[in-house]
Parts: sequence; structure tokens; C-alpha cells
Amino acid sequence: MATLERMDWYDIARTTNWTPQYVPEDELFPAELSGHMDIPMDKWEIYDEPFKQTFPEYVKVQREKDAGAYSVKAALERSKLYENADPGWLSVLKAHYGAIARGEYAASGAEARMVRFAKAPGQRNMATLGMLDEIRHSQMQLFFPHEYVSKDRQFDWAHKALDTNEWAAIAARSMFDDMMMGRSAVEVGLMLTFAFETGFTNMQFLGLAADAAEAGDWTFSSLISSIQTDESRHAQIGGPLIGVLVANGKKAEAQRMVDSAVWRAWKLFSVLTGPTMDYYTPLEHRKQSFKEFMQEWIVAQFERSLLDLGLDKPWYWDIFMREIEDQHHGMHLGVWYWRQTAWWNPAAGVSTAERQWLEEKYPGWNKTWGACWDVITDNLVEGRKELAYPETLPVVCNMCQLPINTTPGAGWQVRDYPHEHDGRLYHFCSEPCRKIFQDEPQRYAGHQSIVDRFLSGEIQPMNLAGALQYMGLAPGESGDDAHNFKWADTIRDERLKKAS
Amino acid sequence: MAMFPLTANFEGDFVLQLVAVDTENTMDEVAQAAAHHSVGRRVARRPGCAMRVRRQGAEQAFPRKQKLADSGLKPMECVEIVWESEAR
Repeated sequence: MATLERMDWYDIARTTNWTPQYVPEDELFPAELSGHMDIPMDKWEIYDEPFKQTFPEYVKVQREKDAGAYSVKAALERSKLYENADPGWLSVLKAHYGAIARGEYAASGAEARMVRFAKAPGQRNMATLGMLDEIRHSQMQLFFPHEYVSKDRQFDWAHKALDTNEWAAIAARSMFDDMMMGRSAVEVGLMLTFAFETGFTNMQFLGLAADAAEAGDWTFSSLISSIQTDESRHAQIGGPLIGVLVANGKKAEAQRMVDSAVWRAWKLFSVLTGPTMDYYTPLEHRKQSFKEFMQEWIVAQFERSLLDLGLDKPWYWDIFMREIEDQHHGMHLGVWYWRQTAWWNPAAGVSTAERQWLEEKYPGWNKTWGACWDVITDNLVEGRKELAYPETLPVVCNMCQLPINTTPGAGWQVRDYPHEHDGRLYHFCSEPCRKIFQDEPQRYAGHQSIVDRFLSGEIQPMNLAGALQYMGLAPGESGDDAHNFKWADTIRDERLKKAS
Repeated sequence: MAMFPLTANFEGDFVLQLVAVDTENTMDEVAQAAAHHSVGRRVARRPGCAMRVRRQGAEQAFPRKQKLADSGLKPMECVEIVWESEAR
């Protein structure tokens, strides 16, 4: 029997809105779950998804993608990647899996909210496929690291991280919950798919796949590429929504959602992706600095798509541009210094050659960030290793949940952005994190940061051992220098050679 | 006497840190407590310099012998610890 071409029936099959007779429309699409902002049903029906795929096509393509990724994994299982890879690369894998795998599963719930409560039929259609994508991503990113669990307990954090109170897990969970779990169908469309996925993860996955190939990790490269092709489809759910909102006088609401989500995504990127690109990836495998990557792939492309869709650049764009230069250096230094509280082993990335690269990519690095690393390096070279471990906690931001930090040394400009609400003093890392709180205090005021929990006595005993236990970091899981300080030994040798 | 947590921002360091001090501590003792977590760890020592404590954004430092209890600082308020040449 002859079948119709897809576009001969797609529009009809997708037109699934109807006039409810047994319940009022507001019960079928409650405002808090739908996020419709009283825009009438027929206005949502103009939503036209840019990427059209039918369910049979989806199943066929996904099956092929799965077969490809799993067969690469099977073929390379004996390649001894774990034994041969640079420890810095293994840290990239551990940080990625722990922060992302379970977040993908949560994302399937957010997509499901769009499937059920979006008033735009096209959005529901795309989100159905997106929901299935996210389940696949979670399953794959749990299955792939599982082969390493017997070799290295830190890989168990692919599954465990987001169930713990480890500080980076709290930060990731705080952002994902805000963007996905506690939002309406429209908010999820704008904040998760447009801001986070179009703005960041789609491009991030492209970069990560290339880095993996460069590092010789073909299994991870094919996995990430396979996921990225899904991202590039379902990330497009949000774009047409902006058109509907702008056309119906809701530009300010759309702008606020995008502004909030872009900023929160940026902060998480600065701690996960920035250190990975500029410090953990072995020098010979680095293609671009994080700043170059951000400017080329994220900033330029995202700025264009924002303007094309009728929105403005976020109000904090200048602050964002400044942070791209700097913020990830501080996140890296913080993770390395407090490395016992991470589930991966951060690579310091400050050998003599690496510092030259950093100075070249970030002029002035030596006088600022380098000044802190000078003291750390001297301590390690001169046998004062105990000073390379912390004895207190960094103060973290009550929005992004990350250490409040910025440029040290000669360019010292660290500061708190405080705010008092209902008698409680909150600390923020930046004007945008504070503004997001001030715009919706009822959403954020109840959350306790890791420092708040420490001060309230929730973490016992009130010392490092108590903190590690609270974070769920068992012996063998707690992080340390990825290269066991060999880089400092090399610097000591270089100094001795110079002196002789 | 009571434990009093502060947010410490040490000149030249990169991060705000939690410092536990006591309401009876002088500002010099507060500076020492903050220095313990920064100086010699990520901030180079500065022989011949004193450390002064000021409220974030203030131009004037607190008097060195002033007790924390008399400073008007709130728990977890951010203080800056800055270097000052002894000659001043």
C-alpha cells in the first residue's frame, strides 16, 4: 500500500487541541503547570516547530544511533583506556558523568511536563521525543561509566552524585531543580531547552566530543556525539515559544526566564567546563581556551539567536563578558584547593609549560591567579604540603551554590554581594545571582547552602571528617591531585637545575 | 564570650572564607584568624606589614584593639582584611 509523504499528513496528525467538554480549559491546563499566561489556545496553535520528525522516523534513527554508540563501546572495551588515559582526562569523565547523568533523567520529567501541559500541540509533539531522548541519555551515561566502577570508585558517582549533599551536587541539583523540576511547560521550554540547551549544552557536547576524540577516547566521543544529535533537535522546542510570547505581549516575561536560566547555566559551566578545558585536558590536546570556546561557540551564536527571536541581550551581558575571562580560573583553584570534597581528582594544570599557555591565552594570569599558585607551588616544592589543604569552608553563593570568588593577586577584586531578606543575611557571588533571588525571593529564600547547613549544626562533627561524611564521600572516593603532585616535583627539578 | 562566624575576604586571595572567631576577639585577632586560612596558603607573606580589618566597602579600618562585640558587625557579615604598611 502506498504511504503518504510525511509532510502530507504531519500537520493534521499534530493538530491535537480540542475543546474540552467535561472540564474547563483551566483544569485541563492549570496555569501553574502550563504557564500559559492567559494567552488564548488558538494563539498557541501557531507554534511551528523548526525540526519536524515523526515517531516512526524517530524510532528508526534512534535505533541506529544506539547501535552505533554501543558497538563502538563494545569494540573498544579491551582498549585499556582507563589504564592508558591521562589522569586529567579521567577526571573530565568523572566530573561529567556525576553532574550530568542523573540530571538527564530529571530532564525527561521536565519534558514530560511539556508533553502533558503545553498548550502548543507542536511543543507537545517535540517534547514527546525529547522526553524519550533524555531517558536514553541518562541510561547511556550510567551504563558507559559502569565498566570503570570496579577499577575506580569515583566512577560510582555517575549514579550517586546527585543523591548526595556533596557541594557540586548541591549546585547542580539547585540549578536543575530550578530550571526543570519547579517550572511550568512554558518555563521549561524557555529555560531548559532554549537557554540551557541551545545556549550551552548543545555546543558543549560538540566541544566535548571533539576533545574526547583528541584525547583518544573514541567511546566517549561517540557517546557524546550520539547525545548531541538529540540535543540539537529537542533544544529547538523553546525558540518558537519565544515567538508566541513576544507576539502576545509577554516579551518581558520571556526575557526574565531566559536571563535567569542563562546566568544559572553559565555559573555551572564555569565550574564544570572551564577547568576541564583549561586545566584538566592535557596541554597537547587543547585546541581552544575556554574563553575562546565561549566567545566563538556560545556567545556569538546565542547572541544572534536571542536577537533573531525578538529578545534582547540579558541586562548583565557586560558582566557575563568579564566573567568569561576570569570566573573559571577561580572555580578551578577552589575545586583544586578543596579537592578532598570532590568526587574526581582535579588536575592542577600549572606546570611551567601550562602556565605559559595560560599567560598567553589570558594575559595577566601570572600576576593574578598565578600569584596564588606561586604560593601553593612553593609550599609543595619546599615540603609544606599541609598548607596545600584547607582548614575551613569557602563561603558559597546562595543562588549558584558555588564559592564566591574572582580575581586575586595584583588585580584583587573579590567581594560579597549581600542581601537581607526576612531577617536572614544571604551572600551572592555577583549582581545577577543576587537579582535572580530578589526577583523571586519566595522561590529561593528557604534553601540552605552548604555553609548555612554547617553553621546550623546540620554537619557533625564540625570538621573535615564530618563534612566529607555529610557529603557522602567515602575513603577512596574523596579527590586529590590527579597527577599526585608530579608537576610540583618537575618544577622542583627545574629550579634545582637552574640553581646549579 | 560567644562564637561568631564571619565572612573573610583577605586582600590578594581569590575566595571568601568562613572564619570562626569570638565576640571577645580584637580586630587584630580577627585578622590573624583570617590570615591563617589565606596567608602562606595562597597569599604571600608581607613582612613589615600589618593586617587591618574593615567592613566591606568601608574606607576606614576598625581600630586594631576594638573588640568584635563592639564593632556592630553581624554574624557572617563580610569583612576585608587588608595589608597596611607598619610605617603608617
